[in-house]
Amino acid sequence: MPPHSWDPPFLGMLGLAGPQDTVPPTEGSLSLDEVGSLNTRVPLFSSRQVASQCQLLQSSLGRPSSPQLPQLPDEPLSLQDAPGGLFQMPPGDPFPERVTVVWLSVLALAFALVCEPQENLSLAEITLRRLAPRLLLSLRLLGPGADVLLRPDAADGLLDRLLPHGQMLFLNEHFLQAMDRELGIKASR
Amino acid sequence: MGARVPDSPESPGREIQEEELRRFAARVSALLQGPEPGPEAVDGLQRLHLTVAATKYPRKLDGKFVELLQTVLCLPKSPEQIQVLCAAILREMSPCNDLILLSCDEIQDTKLLSLVSSVLLAQGEMAAVGQCVVKVLERRLPEGQSARFLLPVLANVISLSPESLTEGKSIGRAEIATCKKMADWLRYASIQQGMAQPSGGFFSSPRTKQPAPITEVDGAVATDFFTVLSVAQHYTQDQWLNVQTFSMLRNWLLCYGGKELSTLNSVDRCVTSLVSTTATAGRLLPPGERLRDKAFEYCQRLIEQSNRRPLKKEDGDLQKACLIEAVTIMDIICKQDSSYVCRAVSFLKVLHSRICGDATYARALLPIAQFFLNHSKLAAVDSDAIYKHLLTDIPAQLFHNPSLAFEFVQFCKDNSQLLTDSSSIFRQSFPNLFKFLAWNSPPLISEFVDLLPFLLDPGTTIEIFHLLLDLPCLTAALDIQAAALPASEKAGGDPAGKPATCLEAFRHPLYKSMFQYLLRTKSAPQDAPESLVPLRQLLGSLAGSPRVVQCAESVPVLLELFFRVVAEFADESLINQLVVLLLQRSDQLYEIPAFKEDVVLGSQLAMLCRLRPALVVELSTEILEFSGAVSNIQSKEAIFTHMVWAIGEYLSVSYDKRCTVEQITRFFETLEAVLFEITQLRPQASTPSCAPRAISVLMATLTKLAARSQDLIPRVSMFLSKMRTFVQSPAVTSVYCEEDLEEILIRATELMNLLKMPSVAQFVFTPPVASTQFQRDVNDSLPLALRMVTQLLEPAPGSMPV
Repeated sequence: MPPHSWDPPFLGMLGLAGPQDTVPPTEGSLSLDEVGSLNTRVPLFSSRQVASQCQLLQSSLGRPSSPQLPQLPDEPLSLQDAPGGLFQMPPGDPFPERVTVVWLSVLALAFALVCEPQENLSLAEITLRRLAPRLLLSLRLLGPGADVLLRPDAADGLLDRLLPHGQMLFLNEHFLQAMDRELGIKASR
Repeated sequence: MGARVPDSPESPGREIQEEELRRFAARVSALLQGPEPGPEAVDGLQRLHLTVAATKYPRKLDGKFVELLQTVLCLPKSPEQIQVLCAAILREMSPCNDLILLSCDEIQDTKLLSLVSSVLLAQGEMAAVGQCVVKVLERRLPEGQSARFLLPVLANVISLSPESLTEGKSIGRAEIATCKKMADWLRYASIQQGMAQPSGGFFSSPRTKQPAPITEVDGAVATDFFTVLSVAQHYTQDQWLNVQTFSMLRNWLLCYGGKELSTLNSVDRCVTSLVSTTATAGRLLPPGERLRDKAFEYCQRLIEQSNRRPLKKEDGDLQKACLIEAVTIMDIICKQDSSYVCRAVSFLKVLHSRICGDATYARALLPIAQFFLNHSKLAAVDSDAIYKHLLTDIPAQLFHNPSLAFEFVQFCKDNSQLLTDSSSIFRQSFPNLFKFLAWNSPPLISEFVDLLPFLLDPGTTIEIFHLLLDLPCLTAALDIQAAALPASEKAGGDPAGKPATCLEAFRHPLYKSMFQYLLRTKSAPQDAPESLVPLRQLLGSLAGSPRVVQCAESVPVLLELFFRVVAEFADESLINQLVVLLLQRSDQLYEIPAFKEDVVLGSQLAMLCRLRPALVVELSTEILEFSGAVSNIQSKEAIFTHMVWAIGEYLSVSYDKRCTVEQITRFFETLEAVLFEITQLRPQASTPSCAPRAISVLMATLTKLAARSQDLIPRVSMFLSKMRTFVQSPAVTSVYCEEDLEEILIRATELMNLLKMPSVAQFVFTPPVASTQFQRDVNDSLPLALRMVTQLLEPAPGSMPV
């Protein structure tokens, strides 16, 4: 069961680092105030949708909806079998255009990547499967304490490399290892 | 307005007032301006970020403090962590008028430029950032700086606002310059591996080793240029740029690829056209064309590289993603320059035959099919085989793959018009397409709401109607099929006996053909078995499975849409067919709890009758048979009630000239018998207890019919007068609740009163076909009219005639 203690800024950090992570006004279509409110509302809507899709998938697979939290591993996990999916959100609320949401669930958390409809969804899935364990590790997301909210710099550092300015990267495993080295993350076996 | 800090062990939730925030900001400000901002400053900035982010209302940080943040951000000697935090806070506050100071013009460090750009982009300063980045990219960068951090900024700018690079005096100059570099980065990255950073130390050996060549993902030494699928232990800067460039290539081509010629003057255009369009190395092409050329080559190389078996399993996933990207980029290039089509077609046909048998490559079949949809006319190629394979084989085998399911349905949606026009295969494949929905209902239901109208036409309506009602059965059948797949071909138990399990039934002669029909890949109305009832009963054991239940929940909305769409094109014969089917199928539904309630067929029936009132007369045989069966009141209550209502509304000569007195009488007698049976004073065990609504509707309909054929009035009046006794009988009061009985009695009385004035009754119950809004309003106010008449006849309120 996704925890209810998700706060909006938390999701803003983790949830929506897609090509539309910020929505600046384009050609006067939105006023500064509207942009400001959109930046905060967006994470809330996506999270509810993802949570419900996640629960539906879990129930269709016959899995219990409240997984236990295991001991936190030291290295980035491989998430090949973690439940995940894709769904679309129509234009309007909250995004002005149609978007596709790629989501991944790891134990009690879910991660979502918001993509434009024509983007490479295979790459989005790969990107998310790489981001999630590294975020889990760097931010100690499964550990006790809520200090993750006080470490936006750690999340930003990861996102800056794996999803710079919302750009998904075609990184093979060796490139990924090189990047991990730059970030100081222990490479997985 | 204060900000909330959420509960945590360190800081219990409390409101932060403006004053407190100001003091806190001042403290942080002092720390930042100190000699060496350390962990305390970091901690302060982190808390400040949370405060700014965790509030719904715009935070007002002091203008001077915001200035300080900007200054600290841009200061080269500021520690990186502090810069990142400043940028994060400034972004949270964006858009904000206090950030006008910030500019990227003076910044030398590319990493910092990227960070500052993120703030500026949140402010909406796309043009400024775009121009700045392009200027930096044009120059030779100082030692130690890499363009690697700037390409993502550029990619972001062009996707948010493509025209920001083309504004201003030097139209196109910036994009031309960037174009040139991108082509070089794509094609001419180093083919040697990079060197590890020197670790220093006592035991480090001097650099005598030659750099090793790059390898492919399967370990073989690379014999061609560097791509994202090239492997090295360490990478050089230009190899990173290669990755970045390819990653943004699609976007770039979509934004600028089509605009090449507009930047050339007429002389250049002539020169371009003189040169042949097949690329050879070393020839001078205009930058945009050159980039396309290199991009095409790159994509071809990627497609070849995806044929290798990778040493690391995860590289396999990237190969497939690269394949998809490469085909898509080729498609875009061909759209922009049709001279590439011929080359691409032959190449992609080979690719298609290579991967079409491999289930792990199924997702890559979609961009290939898209390519052929877009260009087959030009290439004069018959791509039917490709669509046929796509629509027939893939869904049947891979419906359980949720990502493929999603992309497949998107593909159908995006090309629904094209697919419908170009061949009949698409519409005929709807049984296959619905397998995706049957298995993966929650994410796909909204997609199918968009797709369904394209699948419906007079030829497919009936079959789709059955399919929708049986969609949860399909889910169960798919489940069994998956379980039965690796089984040996032993016949399912004793053919004469009943199969013990669903799995056995799958191959059992009694059920085999029903399963096969349900799991068919193409529309086949002529193959429909007599009835699927036995199969539905057999599958009852799976009715509780979560997937089946989820699928069942998606059916009602699709049915609603189905009828809405069909109502627009259905002709008389089709409407009649549907009505008969509605009557038949309303209790032939899969036994899932709540499914029968949610599938609301009664109102659809009413809608069809409203659409074509004459059908009541045309289908009188079927309708009489249906409404005369008392058992239908219990098993098909909603439909029964609506049907009876429709009889009352539309069985009239004003709707169909063929309606005779005999017919009215026949209907009357049938319904009278039913009402008699269910309102016996001493109900027998066999008498069904039915919803009071059914009783009311029967009474109303009988009254309406009597108003049209006035010989029947005495019979109805007598019947209605007996309702008082019915309502008061002890056996009945134990079955129905008091309010319901009261309602019945009131209704009976009103109807009786109305019949005392036959001409009024006739007017009220047989209005002219409402063609204006006023007349429709009159119809809607029928209950009001009834009450009015009652009051006219009973001046003393509350008194009822005996």
